[in-house]
Amino acid sequence: MIPLSLRGLAEAKAPYVVRLRTAACGEPGPDDARSVGQDDEGVAFSGSNGLLAIDGASAAMLDGDVVLVDPRRQRVERLLRAGSQHNTLVVTERCDQLCVMCSQPPKKTHVDRFALLEKACLLAAPDLLIGISGGEPTLFKEELLGMVERVISARPDLSFHILSNGQHFTEQDIPRLAAPVYRRVSWGIPIYAATAGLHDAIVAKDGAFVALQNGLAVLIMAGARVELRTVLVKDNLNALPELARFVAARLQFVEAWSLMQLEHVGFAKGRWANLFADHREAFAPLAEAIDYATLHGVRAQLFNFPRCTVPAAYRRLARASISDWKRKFPDRCAPCREQVECGGFFAWHPDDHANQMVQPL
Amino acid sequence: MALRQYQLPAGRALFVNAGGSFFLASRAACMRLYNSALLDADHDFLHLHGHVLEPGDKLGHVARAYAEAQRAAVSRQLDYLILVPTLRCDLSCSYCQVSRVAATQPGYDWSEDTAEAVLHLLDTLATSQIKIEFQGGEPTLRPDLVRRVIERCARFDQREFVICTNLQRLDDDILALLDHPDVFISTSLDGSPDVHSRNRTGSAQATDRFFDNLATVVARYGPKKIAALPTIDPAAPPDIDALIDSYNRHGLESIFLRPINYQGFARKRHRDAREQGDDWRAYYERFVRRLIARNWQDRSRVLEEAYLSIALRRIFRPGTERHVDLRSPNPLGIDYIVVDHDGVVYPTDEARMLARAGVIDLAIGTVAAGWDSPARDLLNKHSSNSDDPACQTCAFQPFCGRDLVDDIARYGRIDLPRHETEFCRRHTHLFSFIFRLLYEEDEAVRYSLARWLRLPGTLAPAMDYLA
Repeated sequence: MIPLSLRGLAEAKAPYVVRLRTAACGEPGPDDARSVGQDDEGVAFSGSNGLLAIDGASAAMLDGDVVLVDPRRQRVERLLRAGSQHNTLVVTERCDQLCVMCSQPPKKTHVDRFALLEKACLLAAPDLLIGISGGEPTLFKEELLGMVERVISARPDLSFHILSNGQHFTEQDIPRLAAPVYRRVSWGIPIYAATAGLHDAIVAKDGAFVALQNGLAVLIMAGARVELRTVLVKDNLNALPELARFVAARLQFVEAWSLMQLEHVGFAKGRWANLFADHREAFAPLAEAIDYATLHGVRAQLFNFPRCTVPAAYRRLARASISDWKRKFPDRCAPCREQVECGGFFAWHPDDHANQMVQPL
Repeated sequence: MALRQYQLPAGRALFVNAGGSFFLASRAACMRLYNSALLDADHDFLHLHGHVLEPGDKLGHVARAYAEAQRAAVSRQLDYLILVPTLRCDLSCSYCQVSRVAATQPGYDWSEDTAEAVLHLLDTLATSQIKIEFQGGEPTLRPDLVRRVIERCARFDQREFVICTNLQRLDDDILALLDHPDVFISTSLDGSPDVHSRNRTGSAQATDRFFDNLATVVARYGPKKIAALPTIDPAAPPDIDALIDSYNRHGLESIFLRPINYQGFARKRHRDAREQGDDWRAYYERFVRRLIARNWQDRSRVLEEAYLSIALRRIFRPGTERHVDLRSPNPLGIDYIVVDHDGVVYPTDEARMLARAGVIDLAIGTVAAGWDSPARDLLNKHSSNSDDPACQTCAFQPFCGRDLVDDIARYGRIDLPRHETEFCRRHTHLFSFIFRLLYEEDEAVRYSLARWLRLPGTLAPAMDYLA
């Protein structure tokens, strides 16, 4: 696993964002810190915020990374890693849902880091797609939209993918979300069932399904780009064909519908036995949902499904969806010829279960 | 609930809304609908599919508007050109649609001014993707003009060129054009060598040359680069398996089963081609069912009737097919045009044929002077089926098209009651046939439908059925 957070000592008192460069990189920019020394313990950088010593890393490993330095907590957070296509900024840990399978359970407190994150975006490598997640980012809708608009205006080469429960948009937002900068923004929005009863139970919030539908209506009206996301749990597996009908009838505008297998972390870890639906034994509802969606021009895709666990006809829909820094392959995958195209497993997935799932291709 | 109905066998009925969403109702369900005696389960079904919307259901209402807008959406950007660099041809097919001229006749190729005007037009297009079809005459008689056009298109992100050729000659010049990865070949293959000779080449020698050249291009490029179409004389249609075999032999899987187009020389030599009767439609169904049976027997490839596949996909996925012969609105002279050998611009290839045959001049301008003309605006006032009173009550309207030029070609007018036109009869039959197939339970039928619809798996047998 690639570490995203490192221990570091900084001269400065207040948190700041900086881009790290090796000594060989040439003339540093005003927001660059250049490496000035390195040993077995770590590497030291110098920039306009003073000295920064990072443990357990080398200058080469961090070259080009945009990091957030928190001197008080002695942490260096790698916000945008150079060369990686998988960068996600967490704008808040607060959420108004409590999904049964949540991979990053929310916290009550909110630390406002928008200004720092905005600066990081402005330092991003050319053409980068930046992920935004939470918590629920649209709980701070004004800050979020303001940041996105300013960043895209200054850096029209960048784009955003924002994970949101889609429940905080109102009709007043339509003109704003219809503005040209939002062609570079796509929204990842979860829907778990076609009925309020089941959807609300999974997200543990009464009224969520109604609010979600109204939010999606706003997004259609604004011409927004939306990726629907459905995490598979035992309770909604057999309801997927019905959900496919709902999607085909009402949400044909989406760019993609991602059907996602469960992540063995957060709440799902403790509830695994009650939540995990083994698609190898019950692919029929998934197949029916995928075929119905495809029939109606909705592009279905499978996330977190190792390729060998998917019937051959549907295998091309299984994306290598797990981010580089948290992907792993258990021992049994060694001889597989399709590993390059496969998403593998989350780093925190138990090895014995992973080994038992796969059948090398 | 605004639904249109089409009666199917066994008392069942198809119900379709304006956005093209549909379901089949059993005889019992029809009675419940007529008598307003819906069960809770009926209501759940109708709600799930968006046919019945509660007043506060914003998403349902927006989605319905979206679906209708999708059906009505058309491209407003010119990105498809049919170019006729020469009207000359070295064959003289019995039903030739364009009144071709002999290969040696002077004065029927683009002038240098016309060629320059076409190239200039390409430079001014706002689109990032371009499709160009070279028609004729026989465009390979002027490979130099074809090459100049292709080279001028280098600036577009996506390019597709189709050369419609009789494959009578393949010299180094022509092969160099065909080698280009963006170039595709379209040709005519009427069936066995005998049939092909009778309809097209008129000599065994020319037929041999065609089949040799077809084999050469298939071997050189693979079948994916080549499309072939038969033209069928409905008075004497070929043996179905023999026709399929003649395509299969060359690895060609898609067959566009066209009856003779009532155009050009066909108006004189095949007068009965104006209307197709039940015999033709029965032949068409037998042909499609034979494809289904053969697909089921041999899963290694998928045979299809191209037009049926286009119509089938259009039912479910509006806007994904760029087939300009089946769409509504069908704006003329907007997103595609035809540039004839003399630089005159026509809205469709059929319009060019009508003008050449002296039936009616549907020219809308010239490539040099432009075609934003009153003639074009007049045509476009009538280019949608959504304003037609007959179409407004038809269950197939969301899937169907409007073809002004076809009406003019056959009847000399565009205001006939729609169901008295060949266009309407043909498409009513086609969609009725498709919906009968969609609700058949036979495994072989479902297998072929799923392949034609490009599904990874299968088509659920009782899809969208109110029992």
